[in-house]
Amino acid sequence: MSLPEFRLLRPSTVEEAVRYLSQHAGNIRVLAGGTDLIPSMRQRLFEPEYVLDIRHIGELKGIRQGAEVEIGALTSLTVIEHSEFLRRHYPVLAEAASTVASPLLRNMGTIGGNICLVTWRKGCGFCIKKDGDLCHVAPGGSKCWAVFSGDTPPALLCLDAHIEIASSAGLRRIPLREFYTGIGDSYRRLEANELVTRIFLPAASADYRGIYRKLRIRGSIDYPLAGVAVVLKRSNGHVKDARLAITAVNPAPMLIKAAPQMLEGKAVDTNLAEAVGDLAAKTAKPLTTSALTPEYRREMIRVFTKRAVLAAANN
Amino acid sequence: MSDFSIIGKRTAMVDAAGKTTGAGKYTDDLTLPGMLIGKILHSPFPHARIKRIDSSRARALEGVVAIVTGKDAPNPYGILPVGHDEHALALDKVRYVGDNVACVAAISEAIAENALELIDVEYEVLPAYFDPEESMKAETDLIHENKLHNIEKDYHHVFGDPEKAFGEADYVAEGRFIANEVTHAAMEPHSTLAAFEIDSHTGKPGRLTVWSSTQVPYYLQHKLSLVLDMPMAQIRVIKPLVGGGFGGKSEVIPLEIIAAIAARAAKAPVKITYTREEVFWAHRGRPRSIIDLKTAVKKDGAITAVKARVVQDGGAYCSYGVVTILYSGALLGALYDIPNIQYDGYRVLTNKPACGAMRGHGTVNVRFAFESQLDEIAARLNLDPAEIRRRNLLKPPCVTINGLRVQSYGLPECIQQVVERSRWKQRKGQLGKASGLGIACSHYVSGAANSIIRSDMPHSTVNIKIDRDGGVVVYTGASEIGQGSDTMTAQIAAETLGCSLGRVKVVAADTDLTPIDIGSYSSRVTFMAGNATLRAAEQVKKQIASAAARKMNCAPEDVVFREDKVFRKGDTQGQSPTPLEPTQAAVSVSGRVEGQILRGSLQQKRKEEGQKYFLTFEEAVVAAIDFHGALTGTGSYAPPPEARGGKHKGAGVGPSPAYSYSAQVAEVSVDEDTGEVTVHKVWAAHDCGRALNPVSVEGQIIGSVWMGMGQALEEEMVWKDGMLMNPGLLEYRSPSSTESPEVEPIIVESVDPEGPFGAKECSEGSLAATIPAIANAIYDAVGIRLHESPFTPERVLAALRARKGAKPINLTEGVDPTAPRRFREHGGALWFRGKGPERHPLDPARREAADAGGDD
Amino acid sequence: MKKELVELRVNDRSHEVAIEPSKLLLDALRQDLQLTGSKRGCDDSSCGACTVLVDGIPMLSCTLVAASCEGQEITTVEGVSEHGSLAAIQKAYGDWGAAQCGYCTPGFMMTVKALLAANPDPTAEEIRGALSGNLCRCTGYSQMYEAIKDAIEAERKASTEYQVASTEKR
Repeated sequence: MSLPEFRLLRPSTVEEAVRYLSQHAGNIRVLAGGTDLIPSMRQRLFEPEYVLDIRHIGELKGIRQGAEVEIGALTSLTVIEHSEFLRRHYPVLAEAASTVASPLLRNMGTIGGNICLVTWRKGCGFCIKKDGDLCHVAPGGSKCWAVFSGDTPPALLCLDAHIEIASSAGLRRIPLREFYTGIGDSYRRLEANELVTRIFLPAASADYRGIYRKLRIRGSIDYPLAGVAVVLKRSNGHVKDARLAITAVNPAPMLIKAAPQMLEGKAVDTNLAEAVGDLAAKTAKPLTTSALTPEYRREMIRVFTKRAVLAAANN
Repeated sequence: MSDFSIIGKRTAMVDAAGKTTGAGKYTDDLTLPGMLIGKILHSPFPHARIKRIDSSRARALEGVVAIVTGKDAPNPYGILPVGHDEHALALDKVRYVGDNVACVAAISEAIAENALELIDVEYEVLPAYFDPEESMKAETDLIHENKLHNIEKDYHHVFGDPEKAFGEADYVAEGRFIANEVTHAAMEPHSTLAAFEIDSHTGKPGRLTVWSSTQVPYYLQHKLSLVLDMPMAQIRVIKPLVGGGFGGKSEVIPLEIIAAIAARAAKAPVKITYTREEVFWAHRGRPRSIIDLKTAVKKDGAITAVKARVVQDGGAYCSYGVVTILYSGALLGALYDIPNIQYDGYRVLTNKPACGAMRGHGTVNVRFAFESQLDEIAARLNLDPAEIRRRNLLKPPCVTINGLRVQSYGLPECIQQVVERSRWKQRKGQLGKASGLGIACSHYVSGAANSIIRSDMPHSTVNIKIDRDGGVVVYTGASEIGQGSDTMTAQIAAETLGCSLGRVKVVAADTDLTPIDIGSYSSRVTFMAGNATLRAAEQVKKQIASAAARKMNCAPEDVVFREDKVFRKGDTQGQSPTPLEPTQAAVSVSGRVEGQILRGSLQQKRKEEGQKYFLTFEEAVVAAIDFHGALTGTGSYAPPPEARGGKHKGAGVGPSPAYSYSAQVAEVSVDEDTGEVTVHKVWAAHDCGRALNPVSVEGQIIGSVWMGMGQALEEEMVWKDGMLMNPGLLEYRSPSSTESPEVEPIIVESVDPEGPFGAKECSEGSLAATIPAIANAIYDAVGIRLHESPFTPERVLAALRARKGAKPINLTEGVDPTAPRRFREHGGALWFRGKGPERHPLDPARREAADAGGDD
Repeated sequence: MKKELVELRVNDRSHEVAIEPSKLLLDALRQDLQLTGSKRGCDDSSCGACTVLVDGIPMLSCTLVAASCEGQEITTVEGVSEHGSLAAIQKAYGDWGAAQCGYCTPGFMMTVKALLAANPDPTAEEIRGALSGNLCRCTGYSQMYEAIKDAIEAERKASTEYQVASTEKR
């Protein structure tokens, strides 16, 4: 299966990249790791005239420590997985990165790509998102419910990450939690001329205990069928602060907003963890895929949340 | 210890280096000057009549050389003589999403892909059938007009008096088991390259050469001849390296014929390589099977009768279906001693890709049901599950009630081995919370005693040529597909001739060069091609022996071949009391010019090295060529009449000259909150008669067990309205290294009286035991019986919840492939570009949308 | 689309190839450089049969655009053999039956080569994890573990011998 024809643009700076983006807005796709874009293009999900190859923009690679932590959008998931610094201070992110697909795909895939992950991979025939008028997951509806299947965004949401977005107009910075719309076919707030360039982790989010749990059938390669990230800070055996986010069960990764209040100031026991699990499961609206039923996946949000909360509180 | 020098030794595959360096060539690695790329247009509908095909727009595209449709090769074909129901490209109807409609040959892949979009096909959509039990009720819109109720074939066998036995039983177990559809997923997608040569005399296209990823080059040659209306003698099929088959390449796959049709039309070589999605449409895997099984036992655990009703969801074409449904019944026999058997088998057509032969053909799903039920019976009778199996052993040599002859029978030792190695007695029930051990057995044929096309021809023939260079060239039609066929051939030839392995060169699977062999399927190669190799080598050896005997002044029977030397019996190097007469050794028997130079140098070499008590292999060969004029041998194998089974309808399938046996213990743990099952270890004992190459036998056992584990836990083809929801390796989950368990292979050697050096099957039989061994281990761990494979976490959790009486949520509803109203989001890309086809008018989604006041 | 001239550096050699900008690295290797060792096994970046090293890191050549790799060092399975002989890992895969049909083998060769370059003495768990991006349908992976252990041992022995030899020389 060949790729559809396109012109390859190879900028070496962000400035050059965003210039191309505004020049060809709407008719251009960004190639970073390629693990999402290339298979989608082989499936003819996108047939842009231009592909913007940002693989060689050096300034967007690497992890820098300062008042806050800055991660270049082109930093590979492997680098994040193995970063000693992240493993020590932001373990939930390193863990989530380590579960993405397979080692080969993590060598290629980038953190920016994982955040911007296309929610639709392959359509059963033709759906609203591509040339069709039918939503397979919610028949009769006119809204696209395609599920978001990224592993790192729930971890980043828990860490209160911000992202930097560049365009020819300059840079803007938003909290990641404001990036996703919850609508499958326009799932992110990113204009056609914009590029996600950096991810920032606040110093205040450092040194939380963190756990990411992922539901998959196969031990590798699989995208998540449900995912739960928890971060938690204790003081005197009680929860000082906690955050919980879920993925792969909604059109966007979601912070469970009521979770912190439920946990704060409490000593975590099984009952409390279960209650948080119930809360998360209520938020989850999993839809059908080729594997594991929605009912089961929602149930696993419950179980995984309970386990993750207990693990984060007790490790 | 055996006194073999090559047989039984751990031997690297003779073609390993080509595989590890990338130098070895598979079909898709080949190119020819002027070669075009072929791409196939597939049906977007599960069942439709083709009203019109207009390819004029596609033809006009620059770079398109030819477009072919069904009319270009209208002859039907099929792997079974009773099942000639396929056309390489659809003639009037398409019968599954993915059925073949047209083929474009163009100068590049991209142009061919673009051209597909420009072919306009008008369809009349017909009602389609997706569930076999529904399909069996069909009165109209039949998938094939001549198959009433969409039943491809049904068989009803009664052996002994099952009714009486059920009446007299102490306990009868009964249950329905479902094994969902799985596929081969060999790593190499199918590929075919076809090229015609211009005939020197007629000046027109003449001979056709086809390179193809096939397990059955000779069947391919035969079907090509049928469809293309060409004599077989004008067709040469060459099998390059094949990247795995598992049955998926054991019949003629549409692209193999389409490539030839396209090459004929394009007047240029055409190569077609399937995309992975097309591989899933070509399929021919293991059918979804619904098995209603009933077993009668006495108090002591003795099985007195078995009754099985099997419905197989065969897909849209016959393929190997008739054989599959017969194997499912026949292989109820030959594992245990069962005096009464009733079998009702239905092979049903549905509008989905055809199912066919897959590793453990016909036996796997029924064995899952049987061994699970046997475990239930053992629990009920309070018997050890290993013990109940021991109590039902056959007493060979014997012929089973359904006509299967059993000679070598290593099952008792297999059971004993896995029980000991797994420390079954000490550990069963002692593993702690949610962990358990399960046992199951299985068996398989070492080749079918009756070939697909009934004839008295040998099933395998092998030629050997040895020339003055001392090189042994073995010509075999047997198809190396990664299972080690070429290595086995070389080993048998080398062992028989007493020469080193490096001396043997195997030329295989080229219909112009090699004598016929019916192919690599039903685990027949070692037994049949191995025996043919053995016989060919014996014949050559006899010729060498008679010449060497003259040289060494002894009787031909007293000549011993070993380690590249030829001795007199009793003599070994360095301690021979009887030196050869130098005059005898030096005497020239004939004056053949071409042998002279070499012979002279050999004599010189021997003179220099002084007197010896043996001939080197080269010397013996030269002597033999001098004496006989040429050194060739031929051997062939046909199964003996005693092994060919009974006389009832369908008796031809099941009989084999020998059966392999397997017993396995699986150790699992179950997460009771999530339903996730982890297989920690499988002990797998397999009776392969004799392990010609232990490293290879172990590899086959491990691979079989592992593939069984995949079917048990992860793999399942998921359908929605005839569309495959997971047509790729991302979502058809072939296990990764992460969750693949340790498998301890245990070789049991029962030394079969008819196998080559006693060898039997080793590549398929182990698969069938793994699924029930895991199911039984899950029962041991958490006390639930799983009647539907794969044992996905939701199925396991649903069963756990049901056991605990926890709040009933139906966790499995959405994965039942027959539940027509459920929708699935991923997978199934019909990657036709541009505007997609209209949804099927009968698509429930469409109706529901309309009912709900939707706007379409 | 017009072809463009791209310079690819493969197995320590530079090649100028005229290819479409949309050409996948896998296709450029197989079709334009006749390096057919890298295989195509899937179309959704899941199987690993096409694995090559890009600047020493194993990646899927079916998921890389060839022109995007200009300036990077690509190693394919054809570049694994040493001095015309089998590298230790190639020999060991043969000896242990870790290559049956062989179609996935080139991908595994690259993955294992990269693993051992980064971590000459990996634990069993590390090996299992490293192999988890490459699918094999024949072996169940078991014999690969034996082969890798063997190859590590062989490399260690060879390097000890080399050290002894060079010490003696001195």
